Amino acid sequence: MTVAASKLGSKPRGGSAPAPPEMSLRGRLRPALAGLRPQRAGVVYALVLLVLVLVIATTAKHLPAYLSSVNVSNILSQSAPDAILAVFMTVVLISGNFDLSVASVAALAAALALKTIDTIGTAPAIILALAVGVAVGAINAVLVQKIGVNAFIVTLGSMTAVRGIVLIALNGESVTANSRALVALDSTVYKVPQLVAVLAGVLLLVLAGIRLRRLNEENAPPLDGFFLALIACAALLVVIAVISPALLSQPLPVWLMIWVTVGVAAALRFLVPGRNLYAVGSNAEAARLSGINVDRYKMMPFVLTGLASAGVGLLYAGRFNSVDPNGLTGTELTVIAAAILGGTSLFGGAGHVAKSVLGTVVLFTLSNGFNMLNLGSNYQYVVQGAVLIAASAVYTIAAKAPARRAGNDGSVGGTAPSDVTADERAGTVHPEVSGS
Amino acid sequence: MRTGGSPSSAPAGLDIDKVSKIYPGGTRALNGVSLCLQPGQVHGLVGANGAGKSTLIKIIAGAEQPTTGALRWQGEPVEWRRPADAQAAGVAVVHQQSPVSPALTVLENVYLGAGAGTIWNPRDRQAEFAELCAGIDFTIDPNEIVAGLSIGDRQMVSILRALARRPQLILLDEPTASITPAERAGVLGAARRLAATGVAVVFVSHFLNEVSEISDAVSVLRDGALVDSFGADELTEERMVAGIVGNRLRAIENNHEPLPPGEAVLEVRGLRSAAMAEPVDLTVRRGEIVGLAGLLGSGRTELLKAIFGADRRVAGEILLEGQPLSGGPAAAVKRGVAFVPEDRLTQGLIGDWEIWRNVSLADLGNLSGRFQRLVPSRERARAAQACAELGVVAPSIDTPVRELSGGNAQKVVFAKWIYKTHAVLLLDEPTAGVDVGGKADLIMLIRALAARGMGIVVVLSEFEELLSVADRVVVMNRGTVTGGYASDEVSVAELTAAAGGLS
Repeated sequence: MTVAASKLGSKPRGGSAPAPPEMSLRGRLRPALAGLRPQRAGVVYALVLLVLVLVIATTAKHLPAYLSSVNVSNILSQSAPDAILAVFMTVVLISGNFDLSVASVAALAAALALKTIDTIGTAPAIILALAVGVAVGAINAVLVQKIGVNAFIVTLGSMTAVRGIVLIALNGESVTANSRALVALDSTVYKVPQLVAVLAGVLLLVLAGIRLRRLNEENAPPLDGFFLALIACAALLVVIAVISPALLSQPLPVWLMIWVTVGVAAALRFLVPGRNLYAVGSNAEAARLSGINVDRYKMMPFVLTGLASAGVGLLYAGRFNSVDPNGLTGTELTVIAAAILGGTSLFGGAGHVAKSVLGTVVLFTLSNGFNMLNLGSNYQYVVQGAVLIAASAVYTIAAKAPARRAGNDGSVGGTAPSDVTADERAGTVHPEVSGS
Repeated sequence: MRTGGSPSSAPAGLDIDKVSKIYPGGTRALNGVSLCLQPGQVHGLVGANGAGKSTLIKIIAGAEQPTTGALRWQGEPVEWRRPADAQAAGVAVVHQQSPVSPALTVLENVYLGAGAGTIWNPRDRQAEFAELCAGIDFTIDPNEIVAGLSIGDRQMVSILRALARRPQLILLDEPTASITPAERAGVLGAARRLAATGVAVVFVSHFLNEVSEISDAVSVLRDGALVDSFGADELTEERMVAGIVGNRLRAIENNHEPLPPGEAVLEVRGLRSAAMAEPVDLTVRRGEIVGLAGLLGSGRTELLKAIFGADRRVAGEILLEGQPLSGGPAAAVKRGVAFVPEDRLTQGLIGDWEIWRNVSLADLGNLSGRFQRLVPSRERARAAQACAELGVVAPSIDTPVRELSGGNAQKVVFAKWIYKTHAVLLLDEPTAGVDVGGKADLIMLIRALAARGMGIVVVLSEFEELLSVADRVVVMNRGTVTGGYASDEVSVAELTAAAGGLS
């Protein structure tokens, strides 16, 4: 395959020489195109299909254009808080754990901020709310990792208990604040100039080009789906800047969603702690015996999620400038559903935060579509549930299919995070005796 | 297809006729193999890892179908499309570690899914069970919960479970690989007795002494082809080894130059973890290979884990290069200690990950750039170098380690450590499940690492191998050190006796 590969088996016992290095562009793109398989890009297809259906349906019913910048902005700003939670939920899931307490923590942070902001001031109220989020996350982390209680049970408990604290703090009533600081947090609109967006798109293309050039270097990793994502983002940026510049004006939560996603995704992909997190989630014992501090990688996601939940609570408080004791109930399930739609494994070691964000957008596009078409919100849960199950089924089936073709005895799970799939490998198996 | 469960006067057992298997990827796993498995015989099947034994077993068990060639069962051509077909015809398989349900009793496990109707009547079953046990001369309390059994007894439960279906052909796939010598005798005896009752027994094993002990006929596979087949009268270990390794490395030479001992690199004083019965003292010098001899459960693994910090220390101290070592594995790794665990796929490697990400897992600190940035090209360069230097045979460094053979996977585990570890290497059964050629490679590698100045502690259940690799042997029994020998002044027999608690 590559120069590196041809060095392999230099001490072969009767093996033949590996194939010469492949230099054609098509050959190089092949591994990247694997990223287009349903088990990898399923959530993208789901979103495209869904939007397509809704565009056709709204056009047929002579409703306003579905993809108008107003409606798209609506979907984005509705998705933003849950999408941020989905990013961190994905991190927890990759580490091999589970967090049900996110919505309760967000509600608590919102309640505390609104209750205290008029007396202690904006900054202290925000810091208090965030600190409480971190504290709950830390408690979850210690109970799960140090005491060893199952994460599902711990966070089911903290979800319930924290909700109880919200009820106590609010005394069963909703609360509002006079301060407008939180409202500003949620609703201030920031605009990216068209030119900047186009330049950013071009920059991404340049990065993709550099990546392509670097393939000539020895030991360069093969391309993968990330390369396609880079090009897709570049194209999207340019198209939006040219066709629908109004979309470049978004409130803070949407920008937060984008920056958090880009930041966390980059950390997971390009930094050592990201690699270690996947290692710990894939095989905690192997990671521990490799000298990785497993406790840290199991605990930090809870703490970060606590912090992010509190932050989302602040956005929520700002959106309505009030919070009622049952606010955000059920959000944790939406967030987990979004992560699963994005292909995150419940068993740890696999998942991509950007795909979880797309999963969130799929769910909110669904409910937005139901509203637009006036189909009655009662049906939307049925559809959401069906979509979730169908997506998981597709991931499971699609993950099994190539393994069968490659002649494996079905032992390839649906969770492999590796960037090379079984049938590509099968194409490179050389007739070596020690292959089985 | 169903031929009934009771023994009949059918002509012959299973006739395998010119069976070939080519996987969709193009790998030719079997090449025109013909074998005849006779009732009443133990048929030994040997070969290196990757020689095609597993594929042949899967075909006999109905888990895979031959690409060309045919199977004839009691004279009739058969086509087993799934394991259930083979089972219905009277074929049973016992794997190296057959799954048992730990929460159930022995009796429940043995008859689990045996299709005895919906009503569970232990009393009928007890009588049947006693008969089964008598048949293979084994005693166990049928009401014991399986979770409390030793691995060897669990293996016997698996065999009983296979027998409960009254098979006419039973495949024993490495049944003794993970059990103690005493338990082995039970399994081997059971295989012999089964053959005596007219069952065709296929015995697959890396342990050539066991194969020669119980087989009526032996077939040797190499590179997917049947290279030799002979009866018990012609059977010698030399002939088996010659068939298995072909013109490859034949035997591991037994004597190597002892290195002049350097200064102590590892000193263990009064070390005890919660898993250890007694405190242990141990000193390892630079360039020295210390072998730990002991039976399964003698505390060998626990000692290694305590040194590495994988098990929390409750007493004692460890000096590494003269400085105290404390803390968990992360601290040990940082100081240049490495641990190659017993079970490489669950403890040593991340099975789904490619070779290159596994090789760099323990040394990302050195392989990364500034601000903890990953540098894949650097990692991949190391993996390519490691594969070349250690002779890992794989399609590419992007191959998931799950798909590698035992020896190659173990070389990947070594590759994780040898470029960073400078002080102490702790090896727990490094050659388990590795074929003859791979074993020789690994043993030479261990010696080369010692020559580089590392102190090495190695646990090996095969005492011949242990003596061939170690400079000095420490014997453990029931959690404590009971003796020590220079490896050139002790024999396998003496070591076996000492490890078994005899003096």
